[in-house]
Amino acid sequence: MSYALNRRSLLLAGCAATLVTPIARAATPHSQGRKLIVVILRGAMDGLAALPKADDPDIHAHRSALIDANAIGLSDGFALHSAMPGLAAMYASREAAFIPAFAGPYRERSHFEAQDLLECGRVSSVSADGWLNRALQQAPAAYSAVSIGPAQPLILRGAGANISSWSPEVLPEASDDTLARLLDLYESDPVLKSALMSAVDADRVAGSMQMEASGAGRGGPAQYAPQLQAAGKFLSQPDGPEIAVVSLEGWDTHNQQNQALQQRFTALDNAFGALKGSLGETWKKTALVAVSEFGRTVRVNGSQGTDHGTGGLAILAGGAIRGGRMLGDWPTLKPSALFENRDLMPTVDARAVFKGLLRDQLGWAASDLDRAIFPDSAAIRPLTGLV
Amino acid sequence: MTRLMGAIAATRFGLGARPGEIEAAASDPRGWLRAQIRPDAVRLPGGELLSTRQVFDARQALAGEEAMSAPRASGEQAAPPGEAQRMIQQQVQRESREGLQREIEARSRQAATTPDSFAERWLRFWSNHFTVAARSAQTIGLAGPFEREAIRPNVFGSFSTLLAAASFHPGMLIYLDAARSIGPSTAIAARRNAGLNENLAREILELHTLGVGAGYTQADIVEFAKALTGWTVASPQTARLAGLGGSRQGGGQGGERQKIAAQLRGQTGETVFIAQLHEPGPRTVLAKSYVGAEDQQAGAILDDLARHPATGRHIALKLARHFVSDTPPPSAIARLETAFAKSGGDLAALARAVVDLDEAWGETQPKFKSPEELLISAARATSPQAAFGGGQRQVYTSLAQQPFGAPSPAGWPDDTASWSGADAIKKRIEWANAVARRMVRGETPTQFLNRSLGDIASEKTRLAVARAESAEQGFVIALMSPEFQRR
Repeated sequence: MSYALNRRSLLLAGCAATLVTPIARAATPHSQGRKLIVVILRGAMDGLAALPKADDPDIHAHRSALIDANAIGLSDGFALHSAMPGLAAMYASREAAFIPAFAGPYRERSHFEAQDLLECGRVSSVSADGWLNRALQQAPAAYSAVSIGPAQPLILRGAGANISSWSPEVLPEASDDTLARLLDLYESDPVLKSALMSAVDADRVAGSMQMEASGAGRGGPAQYAPQLQAAGKFLSQPDGPEIAVVSLEGWDTHNQQNQALQQRFTALDNAFGALKGSLGETWKKTALVAVSEFGRTVRVNGSQGTDHGTGGLAILAGGAIRGGRMLGDWPTLKPSALFENRDLMPTVDARAVFKGLLRDQLGWAASDLDRAIFPDSAAIRPLTGLV
Repeated sequence: MTRLMGAIAATRFGLGARPGEIEAAASDPRGWLRAQIRPDAVRLPGGELLSTRQVFDARQALAGEEAMSAPRASGEQAAPPGEAQRMIQQQVQRESREGLQREIEARSRQAATTPDSFAERWLRFWSNHFTVAARSAQTIGLAGPFEREAIRPNVFGSFSTLLAAASFHPGMLIYLDAARSIGPSTAIAARRNAGLNENLAREILELHTLGVGAGYTQADIVEFAKALTGWTVASPQTARLAGLGGSRQGGGQGGERQKIAAQLRGQTGETVFIAQLHEPGPRTVLAKSYVGAEDQQAGAILDDLARHPATGRHIALKLARHFVSDTPPPSAIARLETAFAKSGGDLAALARAVVDLDEAWGETQPKFKSPEELLISAARATSPQAAFGGGQRQVYTSLAQQPFGAPSPAGWPDDTASWSGADAIKKRIEWANAVARRMVRGETPTQFLNRSLGDIASEKTRLAVARAESAEQGFVIALMSPEFQRR
């Protein structure tokens, strides 16, 4: 593990020098330097924990234990978790906006299906290609994209070219979350349990030194920074790609979520800051959208966490975003207003947001968006005025 | 229930379920296994792989006849190798490594794709029982041919045939030093100040037949070793060892010597009996006297060892350990021992007895997969590409089980404790992460779990896989679940 981390910082340090390889082509004047970053928060972020509607009369009855007492008041009765002061400042300077009741068209609660559908841009059956890949095939100019991470996410898979990828790690390491799940699964297997516990302990000793040094270890405050920082470096290259996709994992908070989310939100806030720093001047022309496959239950569960839900939070950030606003209607937390009496009712369709960004940030044609890119979605109008 | 039995057949008896295999086995799990008990089920097409003979020929083609015909200075010490010779040796080593790589790939491919994976597991059991490890320059090219030539053709025949084929194969004779063992009272031993090497005799008694503590003595080992002298592998080295190589060596019987030398050249890479190396006289092993022809002694002793009750007991214990648990119940061992004895060591009958063993069909999974078993079962459930990625050898090495690389003549361990250390689990998780990233989409982790483990997967594992926060994490959890790590 220490090798992976050292390698990671090495690569990042030399990042700018190594970025030229995958995409060599003329600049695309069409984009006028505008950039789009799609961040997938895998595991379903609890939007109500990130951005509680503090003045909703039912919120305390549903989840008083999960509300951050020090949340930073923004506007319209919403407050941002206190672990994200950087994002709150962006909101204040109109560089960030929120869509507090957001979801794709999917209404079941399987992570995989939901993520696949979110990424392939369809309603029910998963396709082998992603909507950003199809979008690149219909791009108004020779746009290109980069994915940050070891595996090509579905959103970028398909026949379209001009897609590169970059991974900050040589060997994939299991997330804390995966290890915790395996430990739980090994409860009835003493052999595997004791082996994994010893392995985790050994790792912790090795890992803590790294975390002190860089904070980039699992669960550390810089957990997500390398990916977004790398995305920023790619996009801000002369002739760099127009689009970056980043996956950030670890949001499936079924147990003791306050502590876990304190860490994740801190890491996410730091990552946004790192992105802004690495983008430099390009920040002004950048629009970032961070979404999960769905939200989480409105009510707290039996283990101080939340379970798979429906409506969730979409975060918009970047100098190109018309920020300082809450977008979409608030459905309220009245039991009768909840989806199936458990989840936040979504009021904004994910496709409306993606379509709005593709059209207004990077110039896609609405007809392509309605058919090839998001099939049979003419009824879902692009959200206007995002940028 | 039969679905569970189908899954057990494919994963515990077989090497892991390929798509559709659990269903195919479910209607008649025992019949599905019995149908695999056929010699052709473990045939491995030679293809680009070299035979033992070809390995020697290739070596000799490189070395030329130089080694055989070069006049030697007085004394038998080999001259320090010159530059040309060193380059030749390097070339030999390189080709041997490449040959081993091809052997590993062919063996993995066979295991990952065969529809008869119970037969293939059976083959692997015997190959491990008669280990020839590719851990020296002498054996690196021979471990693969040994398995294909001595083990594969004989795993459903009689044990005594298998024992003889393994014991007399050039790979075994070289690996356990019998090829260089010389009868201590022969003229050659006196002249060369060389003599008996007990290694093969000891390991046959201890590992391949009777088992440790079965009552044989050091005297039995020495006598058996003497009976084995004379059996060696035709090669220029052997010719030199037998004093047949150089033209300057002792006078008299020159015509006879040259005839044998020519024969050795013609048979390079084959097992031969050279009477001049054999310890003359009758032998006594386990209180039985062997007075027959010199070249019949070892074979006769092996025959008796194959039939010895302790051999049946030893093999029954190892099989029960492999198919039931690290500490199998005496009832299971006894049944296999009886099957071995009643059939006169018929390995097909023994395989059927394993299938019939009720103790091997339990719902719990006491057997922890070795790294090789884990990798092969993952390759069968996904694809070799997903399970191994780019470099097979690297994956095997990082999980600490290189095929043909067993650490000792005892073969790879067959118990949980040997494979379940903390670092081993960490390596397995890292590997599972990499596999999950290589797995093609098109199915959910739950579908993968169903198809690879069927009803073996517990409710808890099903939930954990279904609730994973991403498909990738779901695949990792499925691959790392106790049910997939065990069999």
